[in-house]
Amino acid sequence: MTLRTTLAATTAIATLSFGGAAIAAEHSETMKIGITQNNVGVDSYQTTYEKAFIAAAEANDKIETVVLDAGGDVARQIAQMEDLIQQEVDAIIIWPTNGEAVIPAVRKAFQADIPVIVTNSNIAEAGFDFVASFSGPDNITQGARSAEIMCDKFMDMGIENEAQVVHITGQPGYTTAIERAKGFEDRLPEVCPNVTVVDTQPGDWNREKSQKVMEAFLVKYDDIDGVYAGDDNMGVGALNAAKAAGREGIIFVGATNFAVGYEAMERGEYWGSIYQSPVDDAEAALQTAIDVLNGEEVPFLNYFDTPKITQDNMGDYTKPVF
Amino acid sequence: MSKQEIGSFLAKQGILIAFAVFMIGFTLANSRFLDPDNVMGVIRSSAILGVMALGVTFVVISGNLDLSVGSMMSFSTIVVLDLHDKIGPALAIPAMFAMTLCLGAFIGFLVGYLKLNSLIVTLGMLSAIHGLTLTYSGGQNMDIADKEGTWFSVFGQGDALGIPVPILIFLGLAAFLGIMLSKTPFGRKVYAVGGNGTAATFSGIRRARVVFMCYLMSSFCVATAGLIQASRSLGSQNTVGQGLELEVLAAIILGGASLLGGSGTIFKTVIGVLILGFIQNGLLLVGLQFYVQYVVTWVIIILAVWLDIAAKRGRLWSPIA
Repeated sequence: MTLRTTLAATTAIATLSFGGAAIAAEHSETMKIGITQNNVGVDSYQTTYEKAFIAAAEANDKIETVVLDAGGDVARQIAQMEDLIQQEVDAIIIWPTNGEAVIPAVRKAFQADIPVIVTNSNIAEAGFDFVASFSGPDNITQGARSAEIMCDKFMDMGIENEAQVVHITGQPGYTTAIERAKGFEDRLPEVCPNVTVVDTQPGDWNREKSQKVMEAFLVKYDDIDGVYAGDDNMGVGALNAAKAAGREGIIFVGATNFAVGYEAMERGEYWGSIYQSPVDDAEAALQTAIDVLNGEEVPFLNYFDTPKITQDNMGDYTKPVF
Repeated sequence: MSKQEIGSFLAKQGILIAFAVFMIGFTLANSRFLDPDNVMGVIRSSAILGVMALGVTFVVISGNLDLSVGSMMSFSTIVVLDLHDKIGPALAIPAMFAMTLCLGAFIGFLVGYLKLNSLIVTLGMLSAIHGLTLTYSGGQNMDIADKEGTWFSVFGQGDALGIPVPILIFLGLAAFLGIMLSKTPFGRKVYAVGGNGTAATFSGIRRARVVFMCYLMSSFCVATAGLIQASRSLGSQNTVGQGLELEVLAAIILGGASLLGGSGTIFKTVIGVLILGFIQNGLLLVGLQFYVQYVVTWVIIILAVWLDIAAKRGRLWSPIA
């Protein structure tokens, strides 16, 4: 054993997140990166993510990838983690199907000195010690930015002192839903202290459900000035309800700008959203893995930027493909 | 009306009484509940579930189950939206109906002619059709490009005589299928097959064909629901019908049909659908937290079933265990 590999092996055991440095030294020619995704094909975001990930990996000849998909099944994802460990990949990227249940598998990879990068949505805190880095969107910031978009618009309209808002959240229990709601509800009183959130109900990431919820809100409240939806799919569902009821002048703000949201913005019916590109998400995850393997210092929470998009600046962004 | 007549009325219409009780309760809790706009809105959004439940009612009365209708509805919705932009709405609609009916015919063949267990067949089809939808769409959301310029929106968003079109489709189909079930020889065969299949066979009823027709009917209703759904939002996720199969069954059971087959009516299914729709809406208007709503929905369903049974036996509980 050469001195270099001895040193490298020692480093790998001694450090947590920089274990990658050792592996990089051993595999300086090609890096083999495995990824186990949540549920490709179930929605456009994940489908686009996978395509972008494969494209980014192919563009780099130093990288070899093993691309797997858990199909939303925790058991299958754990088995895939074990396969990747058996194949002795240099790093594993995981899009968790479940933030708790995958921790033992992540721990196994950590014990095998394979750095794990979590992508898109993080695992539960109990597993943080076994993770080299998290790459994904910052949902709390996204919620906060949606609050700012809405407040700015209310100020333009001069109704920042009396506006009433209803809030349609994602599926109860999902980290993304919880964090976005928290970001929004914490930030709104800071920027617009006199705006009231009169009601909050879940729309379960579902356009039809959200439309039903909004129909009830429209019956219940004569005065609704703004709607914040946890993603554009739900936002557009709420917009459809308002259009059907002939209620105009409501400011719709969503998150994760979808093509339908972008189009509604083009028509002037939907005010704004948060631009989150699955391509950026995929590329950020791959880059984080490469950085970890190259032994660079990578922050534990490695957020990629998800900017505000409104009718005013939408020309700077291309229409989302999903 | 004599005491006996009142008793027999109660026994027949227990579920209607339960319905009335909830309507009064929700009206007291929120005065806007009975607002015509709200009532119209609830019936309109129940129409999709309702149309599906009409078809499944045939399947349930014939003594089988259909758990595939949620997935199948996602399939119809995605297919008709995709074809809309490719071959135009006038061709997309019949093409989608044909494809959905093929699925129904396939299930009907497996359950009717091959005599496979309907629970297993349709549970399998639940995921198989979902996979088919995802393969067809490549996982992408499906949206109509030109949302303003298409007449396709009439089925979900249009009005005729001041009544939303989905309601007209729902009630029209309910009337048609209701008559078919209660007044035609085919309807009686459905009851006979579900009540006692062996006896039906010995009476010369072609049991396999009746079951096959029930699944075909179910898939026709699903295609209609998919059409309304697609037209209502002019765009859809792949999972739009997910979970609806259980809501459909809940509505049918709430209406008083037996899961063992042989009993149930279209009218009672309609009432079951409306109860579910008004419960969901009423709880939103009252403004309960969603996690409370889950529990309350269950309580209300149990209450409704209890009231129905209590009315039938003429007392609130049975002294015989």
